Amino acid sequence: MSDATTSSAAAKTPKVRFSPQRVWTMAMATVTQLIRMKILAFLVLFCLLAVGAGFAFSVINPEQQLSLLKSVTLGALQIFSIVIGVVSTALLLPKDLEDRTLYTILSKPVPRFDYLLGKLIGVLMLIGGGLIVMDAILSLILWMRQSLLFDEAVNHLRMEKMDSAEAVTQMREIVARQGLTWNLHWAVWAIFLKATVVTTVALLLSSIASSTLFTIVITFCVTIIGHGEALIREFFFTPNLSGMTGRAAALLLAAICPDLAQFDIVDSVVNGEIVPWSAVLNMTSLAAIYVTVYMFITHLVFAEKEL
Amino acid sequence: MNRKLQALAVLLIFGVVKLPLEQHVTRDLRAHGMLQEPIRLGVGEDLGQAGIAASLGGLRGLAACIFQLRAHVEFTYVNWAKVDNLYKLVTRLQPRNSRYWEEAAWHMAYNAASYYLYNQELKPALRGQLYHDHVKRGVAILEEGLRFLPRNPRLWEKLAEVHAKRTYQFKDAGDAYWHSFQNGGLNYTERFAAYAYAQSNNPGSWQKGYAILKRLYDAKKATPGLIEYMKLLEEHLHIPAAQRIPEAAPVRQMPPPEEGPLR
Amino acid sequence: MSDTPAVSVNHLTKVFKGTLVKGAFRAVHDLSLTVKAGEVYGLIGPNGSGKSTTMKVILGLLKPTEGDTSIFGVPSTEVASRSDVGFLPENPYFYKHLNGRETLHFYGSLCGMRGAKLKERASEMLALTGLEDAATRRVGGYSKGMLQRLGLAQALIHEPRLLVLDEPTAGVDPAGSRKIRDLIIEFRSRGITVLVTSHLLEQMQEVCDRVGIMAHGRMVREGRLEDLIAVENQTEMVIENASPALLAQIDALVKAAGSDTRLLRSGHPRTTLERLFLEATNEAKKS
Repeated sequence: MSDATTSSAAAKTPKVRFSPQRVWTMAMATVTQLIRMKILAFLVLFCLLAVGAGFAFSVINPEQQLSLLKSVTLGALQIFSIVIGVVSTALLLPKDLEDRTLYTILSKPVPRFDYLLGKLIGVLMLIGGGLIVMDAILSLILWMRQSLLFDEAVNHLRMEKMDSAEAVTQMREIVARQGLTWNLHWAVWAIFLKATVVTTVALLLSSIASSTLFTIVITFCVTIIGHGEALIREFFFTPNLSGMTGRAAALLLAAICPDLAQFDIVDSVVNGEIVPWSAVLNMTSLAAIYVTVYMFITHLVFAEKEL
Repeated sequence: MNRKLQALAVLLIFGVVKLPLEQHVTRDLRAHGMLQEPIRLGVGEDLGQAGIAASLGGLRGLAACIFQLRAHVEFTYVNWAKVDNLYKLVTRLQPRNSRYWEEAAWHMAYNAASYYLYNQELKPALRGQLYHDHVKRGVAILEEGLRFLPRNPRLWEKLAEVHAKRTYQFKDAGDAYWHSFQNGGLNYTERFAAYAYAQSNNPGSWQKGYAILKRLYDAKKATPGLIEYMKLLEEHLHIPAAQRIPEAAPVRQMPPPEEGPLR
Repeated sequence: MSDTPAVSVNHLTKVFKGTLVKGAFRAVHDLSLTVKAGEVYGLIGPNGSGKSTTMKVILGLLKPTEGDTSIFGVPSTEVASRSDVGFLPENPYFYKHLNGRETLHFYGSLCGMRGAKLKERASEMLALTGLEDAATRRVGGYSKGMLQRLGLAQALIHEPRLLVLDEPTAGVDPAGSRKIRDLIIEFRSRGITVLVTSHLLEQMQEVCDRVGIMAHGRMVREGRLEDLIAVENQTEMVIENASPALLAQIDALVKAAGSDTRLLRSGHPRTTLERLFLEATNEAKKS
């Protein structure tokens, strides 16, 4: 066949470009797949946990009880979101390959990037949806518990004849600060951002590896190192702390892992700190940068992967 | 292969470029009190595997909660050494949560101290010794907490209470109440600072206390307690009769009840 | 239909890189073939002869080590080359959680179809492949034959001009297999080009216009089916319960007969193709 024929025919066939509709189709299929795999069962578990944490330990003072409820449930949210992100991402790609579903998808005019992005968005939509539901449950329980605890505490003060106006006001402030505030939702947003970054790392690894177990294990390793990345980084930036080899090793580790501790505002929120807009903006932009670059790297690897 | 090398190159270059950015964001978030300082372990401190794992998994708050619950269980067994150790872990993990410091100190300075003071099985001398040791431990915990949270009015207030009610260091109590008030503590902390100063044996403190009370009196915020301590300080400081307050009922202005509590 | 071939493979070589333990493996060696628009081309060969690898390169799932492939003139490395292809992999599985109709909607919308047109086309394909009754059942409960037919329906959803079928009748019962062959014949009548691999030679013979026989990564025979069979103008005897004495007798008879030898029973064309296949693959092994 001559080159001329090739080029003229090629010119007739329009180029296939990135299509949001296609990505959305992939994402929705992923969400449906995960939901029908009964992955949302953890929501029930979460409800039990939240109710337990909210009502089980009535021995502690009201403020500590609210903070315990928040610590336990937000901690659980964090674990759930990361585990679901990593495991489902690590499962989906090899499963598509094993079932040859990937062949039928990629033998359609579907750019590989669209496929990857669709999968990622699907998993993230599931995590996001789950977090919204759990945030709502947590808010509800916190709100209920908050008013109950306030009444209890005031009664207690009254019994001890210490219900001066000032003491009641102080109690109200304490309970309100530990209770339901907007900061709680920002903490959930930070949890989502962290899960997003970890999920992207899992996608990157699963595009390189063929084994699900490898992806899961390595992603969890990266997650753990990522939480200590700030320490490693500061070690690198502190001059005269160690020899060349140590610094080089620190640089390498800090370079290949994202800094996940930056999304750890949960503890501060539990302590009643106010989340400023700049912090939200910082965290969100950083997560966006990680996701963009890691997706680009994933694309580089996956675009020419032999299937 | 070529693409894989490109991918590796992008990963490493981005990895190095991102470091200063991360450094900047972390510093910014720490400045806003959003991120905790990394755990600094002193010599001989044992964070425990669970603690280290939690701090690396971003679950410090959760781990602190669990240790706190364990401490609560030990408290019911009056196992004070264990309570202290567990609270040490809790405060290492969550040094910016004032309630943990407060509780740790409360257990030591009140619960443990009183337990030993009234323990009939111990020799009287030992009882006194243990009482003082635990009160001191409570003070030490609060002072350590204040190094992390120097602007926390509640911690200052708690420190003041321990000094006023347990160690009887009234000057220290007055200073602590005063710090509490300066950092946004409730109104009564200002008065209580003056009361504590009044009970001290230090003329400098009497002066401070008198200045506070005089100001409150002039602002028509006097309470029966305030009048009582003012008269005491007038005696201590030998205030000339002309400048003393009249022997009369307090002239506090009470707000109408529908306006709600005074702040 | 233009002169542009539906599939063109030029000097394709595919080497799978080795690992530390295993050496490199050459799956396809200097293979060239052309599938003209509108014909049914059968690619046959034993397992491991490189048929599936060739198909994957044509579909852009694998990258050629040397040479190139194109579909209707568009190089396989471009995503656009897949606009006109429908692919049915061997033993296809689809998302188990979707039902038949949802599966077709999914693939259709990946191809950029939407709305009423997609719904209409999906119903049409379900009717064509006889899956209307199973349209609302989850794919997880489909039989092998139904999966294969759903695979065909999904391959056709975006009205491609070329169909690539990898072992479409493997593991399907005779009735299902008959149905699939009838469909292939129908596709040809609609002007759809079909590239099909199989090792079920009788079936290939029935539907293919041309065949290529692959062995050890090379094309060992290629041409129009009739021509290939005509070359091998040999005779086969099918004798039941023959004793050695009888065989010797026949042998003697044939020798004695000379030019007047009577043909007792000629080999059926089906077995001719099979013999050709075996011979051809044996030749390649020897060389």
